[in-house]
Amino acid sequence: MSTVYLLTMRQLAGRWRLVIMTVLAVLPVLVAAIMVSSADAPSVREFEEVVLGTIIAGSIAPLVVLALAGPAFANEVEDRTLANLTLTPLPRWRIVLPKLLATITLAAPFIATSALATAYVAFLGDPLAVVAVTASAIIGVALYASAFLWLGLVSTQAIGIGLLYIVLWEGFFSGFVSGVRLLSIRHHAIALMHGIDPRRFAGGDHPSPEVAAALAGLVLVGFVALSVRRMRRMDVP
Amino acid sequence: MIKAATAVIRVDGVSRWYGSVVAVSDVTFDVQPGITGLLGPNGAGKTTLLRMMTGLATASSGTITMFGQPVRDNPSLYRRLGVMSEHETVYGFMRGREFVRAMAKLRGVPHLDDAVDRAIAHVDMADAQHRRMETYSRGMRQRMRLAATIVHDPEVLILDEPLNGADPRQRVHFKRLLQQLAAEGRTIVISSHILEEIEELADDVLLVVNGKLAAQGGFRAIRAALNQRPYHVRVMSDAPRKLAAAAVTLPSVDAVHLDPDGAVIVLSRNVLDLQVALPRLAQAEAVRLRKVEPLDDSLESVFGYLVEG
Repeated sequence: MSTVYLLTMRQLAGRWRLVIMTVLAVLPVLVAAIMVSSADAPSVREFEEVVLGTIIAGSIAPLVVLALAGPAFANEVEDRTLANLTLTPLPRWRIVLPKLLATITLAAPFIATSALATAYVAFLGDPLAVVAVTASAIIGVALYASAFLWLGLVSTQAIGIGLLYIVLWEGFFSGFVSGVRLLSIRHHAIALMHGIDPRRFAGGDHPSPEVAAALAGLVLVGFVALSVRRMRRMDVP
Repeated sequence: MIKAATAVIRVDGVSRWYGSVVAVSDVTFDVQPGITGLLGPNGAGKTTLLRMMTGLATASSGTITMFGQPVRDNPSLYRRLGVMSEHETVYGFMRGREFVRAMAKLRGVPHLDDAVDRAIAHVDMADAQHRRMETYSRGMRQRMRLAATIVHDPEVLILDEPLNGADPRQRVHFKRLLQQLAAEGRTIVISSHILEEIEELADDVLLVVNGKLAAQGGFRAIRAALNQRPYHVRVMSDAPRKLAAAAVTLPSVDAVHLDPDGAVIVLSRNVLDLQVALPRLAQAEAVRLRKVEPLDDSLESVFGYLVEG
């Protein structure tokens, strides 16, 4: 197992961080349970819009990932421990990729469990719907992780900038500016969910699953490449 | 400057500026095997220069090579280079041995545990190797960091203020270790703002002041230049007027004046002679010396003299 991966896991697995992530992960399940059990139960479309799109893909997933991916590099820059990694013969991608994998390893179980439980409660155990929601949540985690990891390399204010991005870009602009949706991780994840289970999820102003898959790949590879490039060119404190 | 064919590190016309602030200005020198001391007051540009030499920072202009290869964006070079920065770049949650082992693994060291044992024994930290690093004193952390720096047996060591926080016993041990590593053929660059540290260790000295290379050479030559600069010496005695009148006759004294508080301020360009002549004069004149102290012996004033003079 990569030393960088194990080191990052230890750096990020702080007790308070895990407690906050657990609380965040439980929220959508509670909201789903309340909505489904109410007399005025929402339609699938409404449920997708509010719980899956806004709460899980647009808020909980990016917040949990930001709490992990933001500091993955930013804390090392601030503590000046990044030099321990850069003063080694490792190609820079062998530092970036394990950091990304460690972030996903820590965030994905929380978000996947949250998505799975939410979908199970809402769709009464429909396996394909549960798989679609869970898989799209995991894809969202990977995409957010690559973006926030890069953010932690370019700014020590990664958490603040990341929060602004979540609120303004993912939450506000992508809600009503159709062009922004093409560049919104939340909409990529939802579009992929539609692609996995078109029977239950349909409609809405999202890119097609094929376009979303291509864009998601571009986001993932693009941010990894940007992080590697940044590591090669930055002045390491 | 004549460049020796055996230069391990070559710094050629290197400058670094941050906006309008010039941190390092057009510095050129070669580093040969052995111990080279990078000496200069705080803020002189030593750390910036070392960071560029290790590839951690980029030069605004000029080139730096190690073994003939560029140091920037050249990770494979770190198999041959060990770097210890001035900051405590350790993970507090790790045990000392774990830290050294992780650094060895990152550098692809074969026979990992043997190498770790050897490095930890080198810095005399075997007894404390299983303690968490957050419980170490500053000196212990420095020693464990040095173990992590040498664990891959590098040919070149670049150490930024490594003696900071070390107690006198650790300093002696540290110096012996560096001398041993240099005797084995390694190239070591060590920075310090303390003249005596460099004097005891370095074969060659690079003096950096205000981002410029003020002098380079053997320590004795630089020390001799320092001894010829004008010194102000403050002398307290039981008969200042008598001492002042007698002191002006000494060949090593250029000027004398009396302070209102009764101190005699002596200006000398030959402080070595003055050190011998002044007590003799006091004895001959039956004057009792209470205190003799240099007024401008700070490193900053020494460097100021070298740069201006």
